[in-house]
Amino acid sequence: MRRREFLQLDVFADRPGAGNPLAVVLDARDLDTEAMQAFANWTNLSETTFVLPPVEAGASYRVRIFTPRQELPFAGHPSVGTAHAVLEAGLARPVDGQLVQECAAGLLPMTVAGEGAARRIAVRAPRGRQRPLRVPYEDALSAALAGPARGALAPALIDNGPAWWVVELADAAAVRGMVPDLAAISALTGLTGAVGLAVFGHAPAGSDHQLAVRAFCPADGIPEDPVTGSANAAIAAWLHECGALAALGSRYIVSQGREMGRDGRIEVSVDKDGEAWIGGCTQTVIRGTLDW
Amino acid sequence: MPRQFVQLDVFAARPGDGNPLAVVLDAAGLDDAAMQAIARWTRLPETTFVLPPTTPEASYRLRIFSPRREVPFAGHPSIGSAHAVLDAGLATPRGGQLVQECAVGLLPIEVRGDGRDRRLAVRAPRARVLEIGQPDDPRLFAALEGFTAGALPPVLMDGGRRWWLAELSDEASVRRLVPRWDAVSALARDHEAMGLCVFARCTGRDYDLVVRALVGQPGQVEDAASGAANATLAAWLHERGALPHADGRYVVSQGREVGHDARLELRVDAAGDVWSGGQVQTVVRGELDWD
Repeated sequence: MRRREFLQLDVFADRPGAGNPLAVVLDARDLDTEAMQAFANWTNLSETTFVLPPVEAGASYRVRIFTPRQELPFAGHPSVGTAHAVLEAGLARPVDGQLVQECAAGLLPMTVAGEGAARRIAVRAPRGRQRPLRVPYEDALSAALAGPARGALAPALIDNGPAWWVVELADAAAVRGMVPDLAAISALTGLTGAVGLAVFGHAPAGSDHQLAVRAFCPADGIPEDPVTGSANAAIAAWLHECGALAALGSRYIVSQGREMGRDGRIEVSVDKDGEAWIGGCTQTVIRGTLDW
Repeated sequence: MPRQFVQLDVFAARPGDGNPLAVVLDAAGLDDAAMQAIARWTRLPETTFVLPPTTPEASYRLRIFSPRREVPFAGHPSIGSAHAVLDAGLATPRGGQLVQECAVGLLPIEVRGDGRDRRLAVRAPRARVLEIGQPDDPRLFAALEGFTAGALPPVLMDGGRRWWLAELSDEASVRRLVPRWDAVSALARDHEAMGLCVFARCTGRDYDLVVRALVGQPGQVEDAASGAANATLAAWLHERGALPHADGRYVVSQGREVGHDARLELRVDAAGDVWSGGQVQTVVRGELDWD
């Protein structure tokens, strides 16, 4: 048994405990898939990642991403957190403010600015597209959103790997005060093949964030997710598609997770090609070694 | 400020087989809110915080938190924390024992051996029978329909937390049972219990009993290795004169159905007290930076 470098991080967080935790095994050579899956089950975190030397030319490092149950080709918070871990450990260096992550979904560019706990890392999310609906969904959607006051944009089902229902509410207060009807949300996502429902609302002028977001995935066993990269990328894609980014600018800050005792902060931007980038700060909480 | 931190696997002969536990070894200066926030963040069944003892009889003081609340006592956190304290050199056994100070008072922890082979056991709070059920109790029918009961009748016990205990006819039955969560949750709700613990005697194995502990709402999860539920079961076996061996010791296999393979060592002493314990593996060693 070999001793390996290990970190447990808090991603999309300005302070420990505010964001989404991630376990990173920094030297995963000679761990087989079964051992990776067993360790990811044992940590009980939403994701555990394993860093390997890159195989493809141009990659800064290679990562494999596991939930307690399965391997994922890509996910936002594990990518941002793993890049932070790799930089902290000195395993790679940004070139012109960029890293290239090799993962099962291919080579992904990442941007890096700053250092340490104030370092900001962003990853380009897979392109989100509106998915056409072939089933009558209107009643299920109305039932899932029976409580809160709605915003101006029409709801949409956006597919960027997972598919998210993206729904604007009247404002940030409506988002924060929403009491989700989990059974109705489950019925909606089940009927339409969505992973969850994400609601967003504009924050009052002068806030330190521009949007408040909440994400519900009750059919997946997660009543509410504290900080969600893919849901925020889906919201950005829909705002872009509707031409509604002008009010926010091409770069804005999201607050998510306060209703669950967290305080996640996600920096979202849409570039000139219309690609959504998801990023933020990462806190290194646990630093040590792993015997597995 | 970085604090010494370990993440352990309790009731495990090798990493991954047991029940995980996070231990913050120097928790002085962390307030209740910070401890609760850390315990929520680790997402483990329990996180413990080691503090200097407040009385000379105690080896160390321990506070135990689940992701939702502080817990006065629990078996696997006590065993794991004692292991961490010994490895860090924060206390030494006296007469083969440590004394843990926790919210329920001073608890003796037995220490045998060293390093990887070290065995720890904690004396569990006395458990009592609340109600003995009928051999084919209708209240358990929904949870266990299609399974043959073992020799003992089902029983509702209180060992700090309440459990329904039900013996099945053989090991294969226990292992193939697919939890009927609605029925387990109904049992838990109707009797203010944690849930249902099923067990069977085994032959030709390196363990004497197979146990599965099904926790009702809100969790609806199966425990990988339950110190307290097993201690309650040992008290029941003792009460009925049904312990596997005359010396009061036996070994339990638990957790295979949820991807683990834990071993728990149970002992009922001459006074009728139950000791539950086993081995601990140190998986992560390092520092925690929270404040």
